[in-house]
This record gives sequence, structure tokens and C-alpha cells, in this order.
Amino acid sequence: MRSIALGQYYSVDSPIHRLDPRVKIVLAILYIVIVFLSANMLSMALILGSAFLLVALAHIPVKLVMKSVKPIVFIIAFTAIINIFWTSGEGDPLLDIGFAQIYKEGIVNAVFLMIRIFVLIIGSSILLTYTTTPISLTDGIERLLGPLKKIGLPVHDFAMIMTIALRFIPTLMEEADKIMSAQKARGADFTNGSLIQRAKALIPILIPLFSSSIRHALDLATAMECRCYRGGEGRTRMKILKCGTADIVAVISIVAFGAAVICLNVFFA
Amino acid sequence: MAKIKLENVSFLYGKGTSYCKEALKNVNIEIKEGSITGLIGHTGSGKSTMLQLLNGLAKPAEGKVYLDGEDIWEKPKEIGKVRFRVGLVMQYPEYQLFEETVEKDIAFGPKNMGLSESEISERIREAIDFVGLSPDVLSKNPFDLSGGQKRRVAIAGVIAMRPEVLVLDEPAAGLDPQGRDIILGGVFKYREKTGATVIIVSHSMEDMARLCDNIIVLSHGEVVLNGTRDEVFAQSQMLEKIGLAVPQITLLMHELNARGIIVDNGIYTEEAAAAEIARLFGGAR
Repeated sequence: MRSIALGQYYSVDSPIHRLDPRVKIVLAILYIVIVFLSANMLSMALILGSAFLLVALAHIPVKLVMKSVKPIVFIIAFTAIINIFWTSGEGDPLLDIGFAQIYKEGIVNAVFLMIRIFVLIIGSSILLTYTTTPISLTDGIERLLGPLKKIGLPVHDFAMIMTIALRFIPTLMEEADKIMSAQKARGADFTNGSLIQRAKALIPILIPLFSSSIRHALDLATAMECRCYRGGEGRTRMKILKCGTADIVAVISIVAFGAAVICLNVFFA
Repeated sequence: MAKIKLENVSFLYGKGTSYCKEALKNVNIEIKEGSITGLIGHTGSGKSTMLQLLNGLAKPAEGKVYLDGEDIWEKPKEIGKVRFRVGLVMQYPEYQLFEETVEKDIAFGPKNMGLSESEISERIREAIDFVGLSPDVLSKNPFDLSGGQKRRVAIAGVIAMRPEVLVLDEPAAGLDPQGRDIILGGVFKYREKTGATVIIVSHSMEDMARLCDNIIVLSHGEVVLNGTRDEVFAQSQMLEKIGLAVPQITLLMHELNARGIIVDNGIYTEEAAAAEIARLFGGAR
């Protein structure tokens, strides 16, 4: 249980860590769009290069990034293989095995797709999860969605719910771990038996866990009320988000990057 | 022969990650059958980890844990049997209650042991008697009880397994003096009646002094003191150096000695101290 990584925030100081979370969310969305715009060899090479540049800029160990890509390698491979067989092209197939044909376009498509997904995962995790704490991420989301308040959406409340949920993940995991140990000490067995028996074996964990989550929620509500929490109305912030020169540079770079990808697409089609 | 023996035991948290921490370093201890052993040390010194090693909830990274001379990890599949023989009451055990009635909750352990219905109900009655609850709580919902009563039900749930070794992690934390006395008294009674070996963690030196035959002091994952109560509490300077204290009344005796009033240093209870001071006045007269 202890080994499960909670969020992926990697605590170092880097130009990307210092960016405003709002800017990072916008950058991540733009980056994803640009990655899907790329359509030929040259623009593919450019986005692949940009992914490595992002990793280097964020000072995240390459080993760690690769570890986070690992679980999706299977999905990438699967989509690539499907693509190889499902794409039909002009001219003769490279390989014909009766029920399936492989065309040159199929292979090219598969490689492009692999690069896109790979870059997508790395880019968005570098821009968001690795370099932004969950708290500042929700803060950024709250501010970005701010205009929706005008049409009556309780944006602050949503953000607060998210923040609290994130805050309690480690607490509840620790608690689940403790309760599991306690029930194991009374001879509970979670690993043997039929599926139904194993599902039943979870009851002694789930009930105490539910009751303690409710207890935590009530305690937290009282604690917040004691400190005069009344929702988002008129609430000031400890950390005021400010866009600096670095943020402007970042936005200009991504726009330039997008323009470069489009130019490469158009002129080297 | 030692009931429980730890031999060169080390334990690591988060092995292979950047958060790797050595919770216990090369621990060697023996616990005598039928004794009450106190385990003290400040927060994070490895006490709770050590308790989890005793019943096989945690497996040592290095070293061996022996119960009655047998390595408990020799047959990893049968570690469940060790857990019935070494009953562990974790910290704040009241949060692990889950059944609809107190009776069913206490029966959870004995049921997992595969005992017969009549045997289970006999053990339940015996267990609630040890922790000082009356039989009419048995039909109640554990969530309707007070905090102290819940704690006692949880302890009864472990006692009902009739473990040869009863291990308790701060059983009296957060209770009022009366609740504390009932629980510690119950543990003492259980030991008297069954001859079980007891290992108890507490931050209250007064409780330790009253209850324990032997005391083990842990600091930063290492055993720094290990001996009889008298031997350990005689090392008041050593205890203070690692942020622990001797019972207040013992401290008073040490201070008196330091100021040239010769009294017995090995005094842990108010009664003994009162007698010693009375003797002093008697002698002076």
C-alpha cells in the first residue's frame, strides 16, 4: 500500500515548476492540440524534440518519465497494430497474408500514432502532474473557470471539494492500511478463497473505513466552521497567482511552436 | 526458554524507493515466557514496527523472529497461525469494529480460528469479563458505545482468541484514568489467569513502572536499554538524553539523592516513596 505513488508531483525547482498553474493548464491544452495537428515526418520530429526539451526544462529524471510511460506501452502497441492492419493505401500492399494486407501507409500511420500518444503523455504530465502540486492545480482550475460563476455555477465549491478529496487520499490510504493490519491480526484472510469469499472479506475493512471517512468529514466541517469558512464569497488567498515574464515567454513559445508545426505541415506536405 | 526472540532483526520501509527508511536496525531481544515487558521510545522510534514483526504482520528485511524457538517465517503459508498465538491490539483499536453487535465483533477472531459455536460464546463471555464489560453490551451495536467502551470491546476481540502472547500498542492512549486502570487491570488479570506473555507499549512511565517486569527502550530503531524495570529506570540520565523520562516519583528520589539526602533510588510508586520518606524521618528522630 505504501508504495502507491500519490499524484506524481516531483519536487524540484525548474522554470516549468515556477510557471503559473493557469498558464500551465492552457499550455497543456494547446500542446495537446498541436500534437494532433502534426501530420508529416518533419513536424513529427519537431514534436518529439519538444517532448525531450520539456523533460530537460522541468529537471525531471528521464528514468522517472519512462516509468510513467510504461503502463501505457501496451495500449500504444495495441493501437499501433490495429492501425497497421486497418489502413489501406494506394498501390500494392507490402505484405499480403490472405485475410489482412499491410500497406506502407499503415506502417507510417502506426508510427505517427505511437509518437503522438507518447508525446501527449509526456507533454501533459510534464506540464501538469509532475511540476504542479495538486493544490495549485485545483487553484488554477478554479481561477480559469471563474467566469462560469456569472452563470451561477458554484466553481469555488467544486474546487474546494476537489482539494479536500485530494488532501484525504493519503489519510484514507494510511487508515485502510491500519485497518487491514488490525483485521489480519484477528485472522482475516484477503488472499485465499473464492471470489465471493474474498469480496466478503473486504467488509471488515470497508465498514470501519466508511465510518472513519464520515468522522473525518464531520470533524473537518466543524474545524472549517470554527475558522469562519463561509464559501468562496469575499475570500482572499494566501498565494495570489501572478503571471510574470516567464509565463508570457511560455505562451509566446507555444504559439511559435504551433506555428512551426503548421508551417512544416503546409510546406513539406 | 525465551517465548519470543528477535535475532539481528532489521526492517526497512519503502524498500527500493527514494523514501527508503530503516525503521529497525539489528535488533536482538529475548522476551521471557509469562513476563510483562514494556516497550518505550518516542514517536517514530520503531515501536509499532517491532510489534508488527512479532505476529508476522511485517516481515523482517534481515534476521529472524522466533516464537517458542521456531522461526515464524519458516512456513510463510502458516503465518496466520502465528497471528492467533500472538494477539496484537493495535493503536486506537476502536476504529476497527465493524459488526452489527458487540458479540459478533468479538467473535470475528475466534471464528477465523475455526472454533465451535459453544467454544466461541464461552470465550466471548470470558473476554468481556477481563475488560470489565457487563454481558448486556453484547447485543448492542458497537457504534453506540462510548469511546472507552469501544476500546475495551476491541481488546476483548483479541483476548477472545486466547493468545499465548498478548501485544498491546498504547492501549490506554487518550483514556481517562478510570478507563486506563480498567484496561491495564484487565491485561494484568489475563496474564495472571492464563500465564500469557504480555508486551505493552506506553508513553506513561508511571504505568510502565506499575505493570512491567522488564523494559526495552528503543531510540531511532535501535535498542538502547534492555533489562529489568529497576535496571532501566536506574539510567535516568540516559533516558532523559533520548527524550524520555523516568516516573516523576523516581525523579524526585534521584534529586533527593543528588542533594545529599540518601534514599532508595529504585522507587516507582507513591506508596513506596511515602514509606521511604517516613523511614527517613523516623531515622532522623
